Amino acid sequence: MVKIQKFTDTPSQTAGPFLHIGCTPSIAGINIFKDVLGSTPFKNISLNEEINIKGKIYDGNNNPITDAMIETWQCDKNGKYFNYQGFSRRVTDFKTGEYQIKTIRPGNQIKEDGKISPSYILFWIVARGMNRPLITRMYFDENELKSDVMFKNLNIQDRLKTLIPYTEDKKHFVFDIHLQGKKETIFFEF
Amino acid sequence: MIKKHQPLRKFPDYKSSIIRSPDNEPLLINFSNSEITGPLFNKNILNENDNNLILNFSKNGEKALGQEIFVHGFVKDENGSPLKDVLIEVWQANAGGKYRHQNDPSNIKLDENFGGCGRFITSSDGYYIFKTIEPGAYPYPNRGVEWRPKHIHFSLFGSMFLQRLITQMYFEGDPLIESCPMVNSIPDINARKLLVGKLDLSKTDEERILGYRFDIILRGKQQTYFENKIEGS
Ligand SMILES: [Fe+2]
Repeated sequence: MVKIQKFTDTPSQTAGPFLHIGCTPSIAGINIFKDVLGSTPFKNISLNEEINIKGKIYDGNNNPITDAMIETWQCDKNGKYFNYQGFSRRVTDFKTGEYQIKTIRPGNQIKEDGKISPSYILFWIVARGMNRPLITRMYFDENELKSDVMFKNLNIQDRLKTLIPYTEDKKHFVFDIHLQGKKETIFFEF
Repeated sequence: MIKKHQPLRKFPDYKSSIIRSPDNEPLLINFSNSEITGPLFNKNILNENDNNLILNFSKNGEKALGQEIFVHGFVKDENGSPLKDVLIEVWQANAGGKYRHQNDPSNIKLDENFGGCGRFITSSDGYYIFKTIEPGAYPYPNRGVEWRPKHIHFSLFGSMFLQRLITQMYFEGDPLIESCPMVNSIPDINARKLLVGKLDLSKTDEERILGYRFDIILRGKQQTYFENKIEGS
């Protein structure tokens, strides 16, 4: 069902190569604002709950993107979303292209039908060359993800693993994002 | 209904989009709680001068150089209802077209009184206002050297992550708009016009500052429809 909207939503445009000035001004050497937005998703993360996520975003030539911004959004360990926590904002390193986030593992959500939906963190990515943001999700458990009704019947089963980070100890995660090629990450539209 | 008012991700006239856009179409899925919630920002994160780019980086109270302007307008949803408490972040080049950024190769001088960024949170009627200087146009490598029309970058947080938007405002009458590949990546010609701030003479008399009006519409919960979509359940 499509409702007729009165107004067209404003088109997106690329954030460009200088997004740091507006979004992470201290990284551009500008320190005039009170607050650094999204510096940590949760205050006072305890050592036993802490997880670390790092990774790079690879372009179509398999080079890491060194001028991207990633915002993440997640629920707390009980699966609840709050307005004043759960958000983080990172830029990829000017030289290596790496990003790092310290956070906690989000809990599972209980869906309307009583089933448990898999635990994930939303990734929202902008950069020069991206006319629109790219949205993906980092899931924690491949079996959880594959059993989710949302993905069960899709013919992209072989690509679902692009949404799973690499981890050895479930404390440190490597989540690389590939824009093109064999490992191309699944991106979402809503 | 297919939305043609949002830009194509892969638009070869904008060269860096070729290797920075996925080859597969995005997976269209129903949104979950992660999309219909989002971070909120309290007005107490703002300093009084955050939305005044002429003074917010000033050394000794000296003003940034350039044609002083107001950029103001309303943030609304698709039905025209005002959106309050929307955090807006802006950034722009100085009057000579130079950004305060280590990766800007331009040899134009920086303005020591101009940082080039500002913040504001919309009031209960969705209104916002920035005081700044008109940014200069600048060249960049694309199909050879091309020129960006004068623009201000805008970043907005609605109340849901679904509404998260980064865009650019252009200036009415700028002849560079028409040939800009970033603008032209939007298939719907009428939608391109939504990015043009209109000269607003009703806002020009105060302190002899020229006014521009730029209203912004953030999307609602209606699903996006694209050609060649892969649909999730
Ligand atoms: Fe720009």
